[in-house]
Amino acid sequence: MNWSWSSMQLRVIAAGLVVINGFFPAVWILFTSLKSETELVQKPITWWPQNVTLQNYVQAFTDQPLLRYLSNSLIVALGATALSLLVSACAAYAIARLNLKYRQVILTTIIASSMFPLVTLLVPIFETFRAMDLLNTYTALILPYVVLNLPVCTLVLVSFFQSIPKDLENAAMIDGCTRMGALWRIVVPLAAPGVFTAGILAFVNAWDEFLLALSLNSSASMRTLPVGISLYQGEFTFPWPIISAALIVAIVPIAVLIAVFQERVVGGLTQGGLKG
Amino acid sequence: MLSKLRDPSEKALAWLLLAPAFILIGLIVVYPIGKLIYNSFFDLRLSGGGGGALFLGLQNYADVIKDADFWNATKNTLLITLITVPGALVMGLGLALLANLPFRRKWPVRLSLLLPWALPLSFAGLIFAWFFHTEYGVVNDIVRRLGLQTEPTMWLLRPNWAFTAICLTIIWKTSSFMALILLAGLQMIPKSLYEAAEVDGANKWQQFWQITIPMLMPSIIVALIFRTITALQTFDIPYTMTRGGPGNTTETLAMLIHKTTIEYLDVGYGSTLAVGMFLLSIVVTSFYLHRVGRNA
Repeated sequence: MNWSWSSMQLRVIAAGLVVINGFFPAVWILFTSLKSETELVQKPITWWPQNVTLQNYVQAFTDQPLLRYLSNSLIVALGATALSLLVSACAAYAIARLNLKYRQVILTTIIASSMFPLVTLLVPIFETFRAMDLLNTYTALILPYVVLNLPVCTLVLVSFFQSIPKDLENAAMIDGCTRMGALWRIVVPLAAPGVFTAGILAFVNAWDEFLLALSLNSSASMRTLPVGISLYQGEFTFPWPIISAALIVAIVPIAVLIAVFQERVVGGLTQGGLKG
Repeated sequence: MLSKLRDPSEKALAWLLLAPAFILIGLIVVYPIGKLIYNSFFDLRLSGGGGGALFLGLQNYADVIKDADFWNATKNTLLITLITVPGALVMGLGLALLANLPFRRKWPVRLSLLLPWALPLSFAGLIFAWFFHTEYGVVNDIVRRLGLQTEPTMWLLRPNWAFTAICLTIIWKTSSFMALILLAGLQMIPKSLYEAAEVDGANKWQQFWQITIPMLMPSIIVALIFRTITALQTFDIPYTMTRGGPGNTTETLAMLIHKTTIEYLDVGYGSTLAVGMFLLSIVVTSFYLHRVGRNA
């Protein structure tokens, strides 16, 4: 829509609204995490922390194994990202490049695999993994996360592979490269930006997932950050400043990631991105 | 040399490359769905020492239909979907329109849409549970400062308020993704359309309804479909905000299935509930896809 562009104030107000909407929750949690216990129970509540303390951060790490949750999340998210990229790059290359009859059917099948309510799959996955003694392992989360990531990663990668001229590959093969050699030397480097974009989306998906992580890896030492932090609360107590500190610790890595690569993320989301 | 491309082994290579994806889909999606339907005919409890599963036929299904908890959870799930999907669309459209104004520096606005998107749903639930805290929550503080109400609202302790708080949180969390998709759509609308409309004397409001909305329709539909599918699966936000309470007034289908299966280990009955949810999703999404098919 073509508002009156000339109005500088309007633009500043618009940006302000969007920025406050996006940042306020995180900023409020940051403020809470810096408040002392006594300040927190003051009424009326204070907005700016009066006596800044880092005590909550110390407690976030000592009350619960936050470092362990953090490393669990990293291992699971990185493992799922690497495997998602490998599996979906293979599939995407076949769909985009190779002589395949049911191209569209195959792509639709892969996309449709994400349509099923996760919780309905959870029941049998839980039962199967329980029988296979896979509960409370990294594998238990990585395998389902790869499937969760398949549609978006495959879509992003298919469009990237399609954008690389096929002649480059043919030329390499004429020059004596094998198909795999051409793939490795020509296609992979050219597709690197797409692989990167798909990788960030896969990482965020895996980093954020809650239901499977809660259900399949419930033992304290195997919890991921979302599960671990949601369980800081006691039966009747909510240690909000400590939860806030833990949340800040968990939000910072993902916030840095998207801040640095925001253009890539937006590109990937709108290109093949279909996640809620 | 071109013969290399028509190599019959290319077909084999293609299937080899597709194999890992399909094996994983088989293991994590197809087999579980079959197993789910199979389990739904059994009395299968994983608690207490095992023992064989007892075949029940359609007994579980009969029980589900008579189960007040199931209908309560279904009602809550549909209500959340009906409220939060249009809510997120309206808010997302608002954010997208604001973000589409020509800024010299685009990154602050873009980051403010990306941050809520990247934030785990469970974190949004925790953060907003704190926002809506009766005594120390910022929401009640703002309400008090505005002089709207003297008595603090017990947001998460009263059924209707808890439901409202959950819906607001879901709308906040999901509207940023909507906005990102719609913003991409907005940026594809040619400026010349507006210039032509301007010449014809159309005001901003007419331009919005006759150019922006129709041109944005494909993006809106994509965003709506995916938001609806995820809304039906709502779990993280009510789980972290209220655990389904007070009572089970904010319990969704996903929460009921999780509780039945993972906490009570009643896999047979939980599977039957899941089949019910599965059917519900198919009905709702096929309704959507049907509408989309007609629009296409």
